[in-house]
Amino acid sequence: MFHELLSKIDQTLGIRHARAHCDIPCGIYDPHQAQVAALTVIRMIDLMNDLSNSQKMETLDYHNSMSRYIAVKEEHAELVKREVRVIFGDYMKKEQVDKYPELPTLVHHILQLGSKCRQTTSRDAALELLGKVNRFAEIFWETKGIPTKKVKAPYKPGEEIVYPLL
Amino acid sequence: MFSLLKVEGNSLEPIVLEGDFVIASKIPFLIRPVRAGDLIVFQHVLYKTMIKQVERYEPETGDIYVTGTHSGSIDSRIFGPIRMRDVVGKVIWHIQRNPKKRV
Repeated sequence: MFHELLSKIDQTLGIRHARAHCDIPCGIYDPHQAQVAALTVIRMIDLMNDLSNSQKMETLDYHNSMSRYIAVKEEHAELVKREVRVIFGDYMKKEQVDKYPELPTLVHHILQLGSKCRQTTSRDAALELLGKVNRFAEIFWETKGIPTKKVKAPYKPGEEIVYPLL
Repeated sequence: MFSLLKVEGNSLEPIVLEGDFVIASKIPFLIRPVRAGDLIVFQHVLYKTMIKQVERYEPETGDIYVTGTHSGSIDSRIFGPIRMRDVVGKVIWHIQRNPKKRV
C-alpha cells in the first residue's frame, strides 16, 4: 500500500534515487554494434571466398589479405557475443525474460553461432547468426516500446537488418 | 532530517531490490555511531546518491567502508572509503515493492 502510494508520488513529483548499481550506470545499450559485427562476419567470409577464387595461394599478398580477413572475422564474431552478452546480462531484467521466454535460448544460439563463425567459414552459419541477432534487436527495442523495421543494409553484404523507428 | 529515496540497481539484492523505497535519517547516529551491517545512503562525487551496506567504520578517521551484497557491486573495493560527512542517513524504513512475492 505504501509502495503504491509512493510510486504515484514518484510518478507525479519525482523522488530522488539512491543508486545500488553493480556497474558504472551509463545506461547506454544498443544492439546495433552486434548487428554490424554480424554483417561484418558475413562480409569477411565473402571476401575470403572471393580471394581464394581469384589469387594463387602461394603469393605473399594472398596470405596477407587472407590473414587480415580472418583476423577481422574472429574479432567481429567475438564482438557479437560480447555485445549480446552485455545487453542480456546487464539490461534485460527478469520481467523481460518472463515476457520473452525465447530470450535465454536465443542468446545461447547467438553465443554458439558466434563461436561457429570463428571456427568455420560457413556463410550459412553467419547468416543464421545475423538472423538471431536481428531477432534479439527486435526484442530489445520492443522492451523499450520502440517499433522496428527490417531493411537491407545499404552496403555489402546487403543483408537484412533490423532498425528502430525512432 | 529525513530523506525519501527510490532504489535503483541490484547490488543489494536480496535485502533491497530495485524499485523499493527507503527513508534515511541521521537521527539514529545521535544515539549510536554507524556500525557494520547498517544500510546507509550517502553522496559520492562520481556516483551521486548511493545506498550500500556498511562493512566497517573507523571512528578515528571517519572512514566508512561500504559494500553491496552482489559480487559486482560498485563500492569501497572500487572507490575506497567514504567519509561520515558524506552520509545522508541510515535506512530507518524500507518500503518493499512487492513484499508478498518475497521469501
